[in-house]
Amino acid sequence: MNAPAFRAATDGSSSPVVISVKNVSKRFGEAKSNQSVLALDNVSLDIRKGEFVCLLGPSGCGKSTLLNIIGGLTDASSGSARIDGREIKGPTPDAISFVFQESTLFPWYTIVENFNIALKFQGVPQSEWSDRTMKALKSVGMATFANHYPNQLSVGMRQRVNMARGIALKTDVLLMDEPFAALDEQTRMVLGEDLSTLLAETGKTIVFVTHSLAEAVFLSDRIIVMTARPGRIKTVVEVGEPHPRSPDFMLEPRFSELRNELYALLRDEIRAATAAMRDPVSAPVSLHGG
Amino acid sequence: MSIADNTTMSRHGGSPLQRASAFFGGPRGIVWARLSLIVLAAVVLELYARLLANPTFFPPLTEVAQSLFDTVLADAKIRTAVLNAIWQITIAYGLSIAVGLALGLAVGWTSFGRRSTFPIILLLYAIPQVVLLPLFVLVFGLGAGSKIAFGFSHGVFPILVNVVAGMRNVNQLYIRGAQSMGASRVDLFRHVIFPHMVPSFFAGLRLGMTMTLLGVILAELYVSTQGIGYYTKVFAETMDPAPLYAIIFLLAVIAITFNEIVRIAERRFTRWKA
Repeated sequence: MNAPAFRAATDGSSSPVVISVKNVSKRFGEAKSNQSVLALDNVSLDIRKGEFVCLLGPSGCGKSTLLNIIGGLTDASSGSARIDGREIKGPTPDAISFVFQESTLFPWYTIVENFNIALKFQGVPQSEWSDRTMKALKSVGMATFANHYPNQLSVGMRQRVNMARGIALKTDVLLMDEPFAALDEQTRMVLGEDLSTLLAETGKTIVFVTHSLAEAVFLSDRIIVMTARPGRIKTVVEVGEPHPRSPDFMLEPRFSELRNELYALLRDEIRAATAAMRDPVSAPVSLHGG
Repeated sequence: MSIADNTTMSRHGGSPLQRASAFFGGPRGIVWARLSLIVLAAVVLELYARLLANPTFFPPLTEVAQSLFDTVLADAKIRTAVLNAIWQITIAYGLSIAVGLALGLAVGWTSFGRRSTFPIILLLYAIPQVVLLPLFVLVFGLGAGSKIAFGFSHGVFPILVNVVAGMRNVNQLYIRGAQSMGASRVDLFRHVIFPHMVPSFFAGLRLGMTMTLLGVILAELYVSTQGIGYYTKVFAETMDPAPLYAIIFLLAVIAITFNEIVRIAERRFTRWKA
């Protein structure tokens, strides 16, 4: 069915490991204080080149924290994260770029200026700026809006541009923290398709945090299901469908099966998280003691 | 009614009300509305002064206009006084901007600086400075120095306070986004915190403008022997209101001019907000 030029999604097992997370824990606040929160508990994870990995879990399970640790925006309390074998101690803009939930485009710069400043921060020579910017904007169909200010665009268009900025930075790894959360469902689906195409064309490694089960199944090669706080890896679900994915994938029985499987996995965790909010002392311990 | 009349009528929109609404609804409608208001106010004032008011306190506008040219602008001493006031305001305002911006950036740059210094600044800002005016005169003398200093001490605070306020509450997402792209601390300042502060800075500039003007004029009223303040006092005490109003009009023109300069600059630098 799919064009042979596109790689199969399951060949990930033979690709080299790009991101390696080993025994990472993260505690917010002083360890002995009763205010402290264990957000991540001994998480280990290998991500291979060209993989699309989703971090899925209930609110507060530490999936964004894990993403921030990989991106070097947060330090791990113990354990280590590596990118291409280098230990991550701070942002590594040459290897990793971020796409955040809301648009992080600076409202005081036009779209072009935003791209230029991102490339400048990253240390890209000025001669390449305009070429890269226009290519990335064209790839999401936003080239005509290059000289607009972000406030002149709709939320969906802004996020499209924001994604393009992640592309223009040309890093091998793209970390996306709920990039579509603020969008309506239709825009979400279209951008999801774009992202799948992008992955197939560029072979980028993408780590994607989401709440949405359908989004996770539609986009991922692997879905890392996390437990309620403290976040641990509960299980890993393989999707095994080549990129780029068409909307038809959503109509296949396998899509709903995977989605239902994920829901069954998450239901307990979501209940645990809700219970923990109501009764913070007793609830989390009783539900998953391991 | 002839056919020709009918066509002209319809071209201009029928009833007088419709015609008026077409006139003010046009591309320059707001400007016309403002001008009409000013003309209306002038006519009302003129009629009031001629028919009802006591001419000792309330001269007709035409008389004020006449004295603007015959008494105020014709007098070389008053001309000099006006020019002096303009450059004193300019210097005091320039100092207020430079010092307010520099101090504001320094104070607002770190949370420590803000929390340790800002409450003290707000406290100083709250003092009604006019009680310090005699002190200013003692220190800076009777000449331009005390006026500039007093204008500066009025103008600097609103600018300083607004710069500090504008550096607060930068969306953490912008900071994290910039950091993830490899921005240094200097980059963060130049491309995130500073531009975020600019709209608030302009709010401070406008407020600082009126305050500087107030400071300079207050000092003139208090000490001056030849400034604008002196002449306002002279005309008031000699019951000669027409030139007094003419001088007030000149002051208003100065204030509006400065304000317009700030407004144009603001529009140029905060285009992204529109």
